[in-house]
Formats: sequence, C-alpha cells, structure tokens
Amino acid sequence: MTNAPALALRDIRKAFGGVQALDGATLVVERGSVHGLVGQNGAGKSTLIKILAGIHHADSGVIEVDGVRQTMLTPARCDQLGVHFIHQDRLLAPSLTVAEALLLGHEPRWSGTPFINRRRLEAQAQAAIRCAFDIALPPRALVRDLSNAEQQIVQITRALLHRPKILVFDEPTTALVRREADFLFATIRRLRADGLTVLYISHYLNEIRDLCDAVTVIRNGRDVARVDARATPTSQLVSLMIDRAVDQLFPARQAAFGAKGLEVDKLSLAGQFEDVSFGVCKGEILGVTGLVGSGAKALARALFGLERPTSGEIRVKGEAQRLNSPRDAVAAGVALVPEDRRRHGVALGLSVRENATLAALNRFRRFGLLAASREKAAVNGLISRLSIRTPDAETPVRALSGGNQQKVALAKWLIHGSQVIVLDEPTVGVDVGAKVEIYREIAALAAGGAAIVLVSSDLMEIQGLADRALVFFRGAVVADIARSELESDRLLTFVTTGHDSREPHAKAAE
Amino acid sequence: MPKPPNRPALATALRLGAYLAFAAILLVFALAAPGFLTLGNWLNVLQQSAILGLLAFGLTIVVIGGGGNVVTGGIDLSVAANLGLAAAVYASLVKHGYPDALAAAATLSAGLAVGALNAVAVTALGIVPLLATLAVAKIVSGLEFVLTQNSVVTATSPFLAWLSDNGPLAVPVMAYVLVLVTLIAWPAVQATPWGLRLQAVGAHREAARAAGLPVKTYVAGSYLVSGVFGALAGILSAAYLTGSSPGSADILLSVVVAALLGVVFSPRLTPSIGGAASAVLFIGLLNNGFQLVNISSYWVSGVEGALILFVVACTPSQREAMS
Repeated sequence: MTNAPALALRDIRKAFGGVQALDGATLVVERGSVHGLVGQNGAGKSTLIKILAGIHHADSGVIEVDGVRQTMLTPARCDQLGVHFIHQDRLLAPSLTVAEALLLGHEPRWSGTPFINRRRLEAQAQAAIRCAFDIALPPRALVRDLSNAEQQIVQITRALLHRPKILVFDEPTTALVRREADFLFATIRRLRADGLTVLYISHYLNEIRDLCDAVTVIRNGRDVARVDARATPTSQLVSLMIDRAVDQLFPARQAAFGAKGLEVDKLSLAGQFEDVSFGVCKGEILGVTGLVGSGAKALARALFGLERPTSGEIRVKGEAQRLNSPRDAVAAGVALVPEDRRRHGVALGLSVRENATLAALNRFRRFGLLAASREKAAVNGLISRLSIRTPDAETPVRALSGGNQQKVALAKWLIHGSQVIVLDEPTVGVDVGAKVEIYREIAALAAGGAAIVLVSSDLMEIQGLADRALVFFRGAVVADIARSELESDRLLTFVTTGHDSREPHAKAAE
Repeated sequence: MPKPPNRPALATALRLGAYLAFAAILLVFALAAPGFLTLGNWLNVLQQSAILGLLAFGLTIVVIGGGGNVVTGGIDLSVAANLGLAAAVYASLVKHGYPDALAAAATLSAGLAVGALNAVAVTALGIVPLLATLAVAKIVSGLEFVLTQNSVVTATSPFLAWLSDNGPLAVPVMAYVLVLVTLIAWPAVQATPWGLRLQAVGAHREAARAAGLPVKTYVAGSYLVSGVFGALAGILSAAYLTGSSPGSADILLSVVVAALLGVVFSPRLTPSIGGAASAVLFIGLLNNGFQLVNISSYWVSGVEGALILFVVACTPSQREAMS
C-alpha cells in the first residue's frame, strides 16, 4: 500500500448543456477516514458523486483511487476497485426476503444440484447482518415489510459483503428517524475502526460534526474549503456554503398586509409533520423551507387537498375548509403551482391559451360554449404581463422552455383569481432570467392581494422573497422568522440542524 | 415520525379470503352436483386443465420477470395464438405423413421462434409488452391461418393417440403431463438461483441491475420459456382435438385469469408457479362444476372477467402502478 489518499478527484469540470455544474472541484479522502461532503442544493455534490460512480463522465480532471489514475470509470469498474455506493433510495426488490435480497447473485446451492440451499442462505444472511450490525434481522422477513432503517441495514450489509475499500453514503439518513440514524452512525464508526474509508454526503451538518474527520465544502461547482470536521463550528460551515455574491434578483417588498387569507391550526399529517400552526395575510409571502422529508413539501400537498391531514384545521378567509381533494381546494380559492410542472402543472400537448384558461373555463363560457374572443384577450394580456416567450397563444406548451412553462402554470391561477396560492419549488430547473420574472410575478401576485405560501429549498429565494419564513425539521416547525431577522446563515443553520445559530452551543450534545 | 400503516395483515386477509372462496365453491358444487367429488371427475378436470395449465405457467414466468404492473409490466398475450400455431404445425406435419419426432421438433422450434420474436420486441426494441405481444399474437395467428387456410386439420398419430388416452392406473396421460410439468416448473422457478433472480428483475429492475444481474437476458429468457410452454400446450391441443382447429384465441382470457389469480394464492402475493397451479385447478373445477349442475358454460366467461377485476383491484403491486 502506498501513502496516497484512498480517493482523489482533482480539478473536475463538467458542463450540462451550457450550465457549468462543476467548475474545478477537488475532493481528497484520506484512507481510513470518514470524510464529509456538504454544499447547498445545486452546488454540484450529486454531479461529483455521479462522476465518481461512473454514471457521468467528467469533461476534464483527474480521478485517482489508491493513487492509481482512473481514465474510464464505469459502474462495473467501481465494483472492481472496491468503491460501493449506498444511495438515498433503497435499491432492494420488495418481494424478496432479507436473505434473498442480501445474497442475490451469490446464492448458495445444495452441492451437485441447481437448487438454492435455503438453510445456508438464511444462515449466511443472518451471520452477515450480525457481523455488520450486531443485530438479528429475521432472514425470512420480506423487504417490503421492513422499516426504512432495516432496509438500509440490508443494503449496507449487501455492500459490505463485497468487501469494499471505499463506501459512499449519499444522504443516508433522509428517511430515517433519530434512533435509526444513531444506529447507522455507530456502524459507520465501527467500519472506520476496521480500516474502511467512508465518503459521507449529508445536508445535516450536525451529523457531519459528530461523524466525520474532515469535510469538504462545495459551492457553485467548486470546493471552497477542506477543514477539520470536529474543530470547525457549524456556523463556519454554513457561511462557507452560502454564496454571498447573489445578484439583485429580487423585487422590492413592502409590508402592507390585509386580513388573514389563510390560517392553519395544529395541522398534522401522519408520517409527515405534526402540530403545524401559522397564518398568512393577504399580500404576504410566507416562505416554507426544510430538507427533503422534513414535511415542508407535504404541507404544500395538504394545503391543496392532495393529502388528508390526520388532525387540525385549515381556514381560508376565516372560513374552516375541508380540503379532501384538489377540487375542494380550488373551490375554496386555493391554487397550487407544483414542482413537477411537466407532470402536474401544465398539459404539454395543449396550447398556451388552453393551459392558461383550463382552471377557469367557467368564466369564459357563453351559452355552454367558449367565448373565444374574451378568452383570447385575457390570455394575450397574461402573455405580455408575464412576458411568456412563445410565438403565439396557440403554441403547444411542449415547445416552450422550462421557465416559460412555469409562467404558464402561474398564468393558469392568475386567470382563475385564486386567493391563496401555494408555490412548490417554483424556480427549480429554470434559468436566471426566467427566475427574475417569476420572482417579480410572485411579488405582483402578493401585491394584488393574494396570500402566498412559497415552499422552496432554495434559501436565497426564501430570504429574498418571503415576508416571513417557517423552517421544517424532521416533521416539526422549528422556526418562524420575520423578514427583518432573515439571514441566510441563520436559515441554513435551522434547516440543517434544527437549531438556532444564535443560541449558545448548549444543544450540541442532544 | 409515525409510520404509515403496514400491509402484511391485509395480505394475509386477502390470501385467506382466496382460500376460503376456493373452499366455499368446492362445498357448493359438492352439495349441488353428486358426481363432483369423485376421483374420476377430478382426473377429468386435470386432463381438461392441462392446456390451460401449461400456458398459465408460461405467462406466470413472464409476469415474474417483467413485474406485476398491469400496464407496463411483463405480459404475454401471444400465448393463445402460439398454442394455435403450434397445434397447426404439428397437425399439418403429421397429416402429411411426417413422424411424430419431427413434428414435435418443428413445433417446439416454432414456439421458441414466437418467444424469440416477443423477446426481441420487448427487450431490443423496447416496446411495452402489452403491445409487443399483442402485435406478435396477430402475426402468429396470421401464420396459423396461412398454414391451415382457417380450417380444421385432422391428424392422428400414435403419439397423439397415446396423449389423449388413459395411462397407467386409468389416469389420463394429460393429467400426468400437467402434474409432471408442475413438479418440474415449481422448483425450477421457486427454488433455483435463476428463478430468484428472475423475481428480483421483475420486482425492482434498478435494484437487479445494481446487483449486477443481466436484466435484459432474464426478461428475454422468460419470453422464450413462455414460447416453449405454448408449443407444448399446442401438442396437447392437437392430441385433445385430434388435429388443429381455429379458435385458439378463446383461451387467452382464462390464461390471464389463471396467472393473475395465482397471485392471491401465493404466500408473497407475487406471481408464482404454485399459485398459478392452484388457480388453474380452481378455474377447471369451476368450469366442471357449472357443467355438472347444468349451468351454461358461458357464465364461466363472466365469472373469469369478474375475477380479473377483483384480483387487479386487490393486489398491492398493481394498485401502486396506478397511483
């Protein structure tokens, strides 16, 4: 063995259609260490990991495993090199038993027959899990009946059976509860003691501090720091992650709010969030943020009647509403602009005009037919107001760019005249120019008297646009911050640790 | 955070319900039709179910490898057409004086070719199995018409005569065939690495790929196996009908019912050979019971349709595909 690091990616560059996802990123992982990798959404973490996994290929840069330069990484090559990945989504066949899923592809047989030796299969599986985790998982249990953590255990054990040299964990705790996550950490520490090298990617900064030896921070496709994970305070990591040079993307906001447009009282949704209360005035933009699985997104779905809350109340303009379906929500004056606009927000095959008036056809009806001229006039007004870049109102939405599709999704509810508008990640995957127009339109909607709930994982967006922000952390609201107190450092600390950066370190040992 | 409700209890209830329904129907026919519970009648049912059984095993293997999603998952709608073509090939060759061995070899090759065509359409061309195998079914039944001019081809041979006769202990040879094929297919699918990997491919394709399995090879293999089962069923059909006759497509719905109903007879609520065998027996007894109590067998068709709706509505994997 050499003294070379277990893994080194140097000066990696990668562009996707003009967007520079990685712009000279370097990641060096010492042998036998647990190395953290952090960065905001879109910083380039996942692109870097996909390049390491051989799923994408770098435009330029050097990758070394154990000091040996790798020119052509493929998933199969990674396997040979002993680099294994534990993905966030569990890759296990649900109808297999624990033992079958563990030893799939390496099933022991009765010697001299083509038949699986189930007794040996189950004994081997049990031994492997006991060896890796020191627990007994019933080998005959079906994967689909296991908890998230148990499935994660099976997946990690499966990776360990290949005797890996480097294990890469990509957001492994997103779906785990606290106790399950603690269990995973104990395992990772033991693996490190056994000499394994671990690359650990997580949004949860307190996990990084507790678990990792060193940590690399990625920002805008570049590594901006490589520091000691234990000695570096979370606040410093946070400030490293934040891009200070944000353009003046955001419209000016003025605090002139009307009566309460939307009130939510002790709302709970099984498995998602508990006991959430807040109110949004007419003219106000409420930012809602949190990591994947924190409950922020589920709140958006509940407000639009896509999920049925287990308890609590939703009031629109002071009236209690039962929102059991999107139909109820639309009738109550609640609109949703969903994240996945291609699947839920717009009908790609229909024209800009048809999409825009879809939710409000009643308003353009005369003698049971569509009043074409009125419809057309309203749509053309919106196209110029939102500056939707389209040849004309009859162009199918399919032909538009992502940002312009999103504007059409917005237009649908503008025509409908909804009172409460829920925006779910309105600027994911749109370019900066379109972002600015969408921001301006959101501000205009609020100024027009709508109560706006802006669900976003883009903290700059929350900071720049929201009059108030709720932060979700593992199913609970941990912060309700007014605009004057909204600083990106503080927001990011709340999002990633569940605690306030202004509080002393008292809770560090929780 | 609280966990969403789990499914094992529901699954157990569904399986229990299926067995109870089976038992209830046996009880009703036993009381209503005096001859129903005799050994002779049951052997008769086995004989009549042999063709359905072989096709259902083939389809089950395809569904295991392709996954249970009713829209995009594995399905082979060409099994019935394959049966027709196979019977026509065998009958035509025998009629023109070729020996049984050659006819059998040609029939099996034809079945394999149909399976290969399905495999290419699904894995190489990437067409959704539902459409791919429907198109192949059309091609195959066209070939059958070309071969037979859409008429009955009568054929007799020593082998066909033996197949349609009674074997040792006065048990029909076709009943032996069904039992024998079940005894081979069951362990081959449920107890070998090949079967387990096929199940893994169908249950979660990405996971199977991540586990290093050659996913497409397994899927292609499942269609080849189904093709061979179709050919074997065709030979039985040629024996049963002393030749080939048009109209093989009628059996398709029954085969689909058997494969789908097999899911609720399986411990894991996934398609399995054991489950398909139970379902074939169930459908055979249902047909037989209706005949014995003098209810038109046309009603059976309605019952089969209702069973498809019931099974698809109840099984979890197929529900997920819709949401």
